[in-house]
Amino acid sequence: MAQELQLVVVTPETTVLNETVTSLRFPLYDGMIGVLPGRTPLVGRLGYGELTFRTDKEERRFYIDGGFAQIKGATVSLLTDRAIPAEKISVADAENQLNQARAVVAKTDAEAEQKDRDQVRARRMISMSRS
Amino acid sequence: MAKTRAIIKRLKAVKNIRKITRTMELIATARFKKAMDRASEAAAYTRKLSEIVADLSQADMTLSHPLLQAHETEKNCVLLILTSNRGLCGGYNSGILKQAVQRIREAKDVDQNLSLEVSGKRGLNFLRFQQYEFERSFSHFEDKPRFDEVDVLASRYIELFVNGKIDRLDVAYMQFDSASRQHPTVETLLPIGKLITESTTETTSTRKVEYEFLPSAGEILQELVPTSFKARLFKCFLDAAVSEQIFRRVAMKAATENASEMVGDLSQLYNRARQSQITSELAEIIGGAAALE
Repeated sequence: MAQELQLVVVTPETTVLNETVTSLRFPLYDGMIGVLPGRTPLVGRLGYGELTFRTDKEERRFYIDGGFAQIKGATVSLLTDRAIPAEKISVADAENQLNQARAVVAKTDAEAEQKDRDQVRARRMISMSRS
Repeated sequence: MAKTRAIIKRLKAVKNIRKITRTMELIATARFKKAMDRASEAAAYTRKLSEIVADLSQADMTLSHPLLQAHETEKNCVLLILTSNRGLCGGYNSGILKQAVQRIREAKDVDQNLSLEVSGKRGLNFLRFQQYEFERSFSHFEDKPRFDEVDVLASRYIELFVNGKIDRLDVAYMQFDSASRQHPTVETLLPIGKLITESTTETTSTRKVEYEFLPSAGEILQELVPTSFKARLFKCFLDAAVSEQIFRRVAMKAATENASEMVGDLSQLYNRARQSQITSELAEIIGGAAALE
């Protein structure tokens, strides 16, 4: 049994990560999921938030912005719109986004949902950049 | 005397132009490589996406999504024309515009409401000159289209389509087949005809994997269809960017070659003119000397 996973993170523009990791954690649509080598194949929808993975040497964190996950054998593929290293998130930007999201007046259900989602997204970014 | 001067002047001008076109060729080559790298990196995303689609379709379920369904009537259509911001790229823009005009005529024949949206100053000027009315225009897409820029456009189209405001979306752009082959085309992006493209069929045939779906396959699909549309639209932009650089490189290469040929011709002409001038001067001197004797 392989003791390692291949983590591939792709955005529409480029492949952000292609690394061998020992374990990882990422947000699915309804909560966090942890993946260790030898997991059952899975296809899932990603949420917004923190992707943490551990390589032999270190632990690294990324912010990922929705998308899809596919686990097949020892390969974990994450398709996401954006993937930003935790150290590169700017608090000011995220706070800006939060304020913008809060300023929106939602008139329909869909708009209210969108507003909620934008707020959650911005808040997660802020909390990530602070921790 | 005057003739040789004029030839020298022209020679210099041609040499200068050759220098410029040569530089432009080199720049286009460098940009093409960069655009090509971007396009091939982006291809990884599309590939993965279609892999997931194939995985989902294994879970034998009916694919139904508002974006997949063709509307009953095709009354309101949108044609997005992707042209370049700059000229000097051979038949790039004219090829695309020819296709676009064909689509416009077609729409007129069957009485569709076709609203035009154009990206790139070249297309914009053409439409203005031909006095076509267009809805929107963009000129901020350079040779490095970014996903979030395309995302804005794509989201708007999705909304319009789902709400029934538009029934069809076509994109006229230069499709990139390979580094030596590109062709102008009008592609229908909405409604999405087929989710699975040919390239994915081989990956699925390798081995069937039983997947766990979180949430259900149907719900993932709800999210997947718009994403796949966005990826497709983005691919159009990337293709256009790569093709533009190829066309420019080819055009500039031809220009440089022509300039070199002209330099050869002109220097020959100059040598002849100089020689005949010398000969006539000599004849004058000899003639003058003979007259004195």
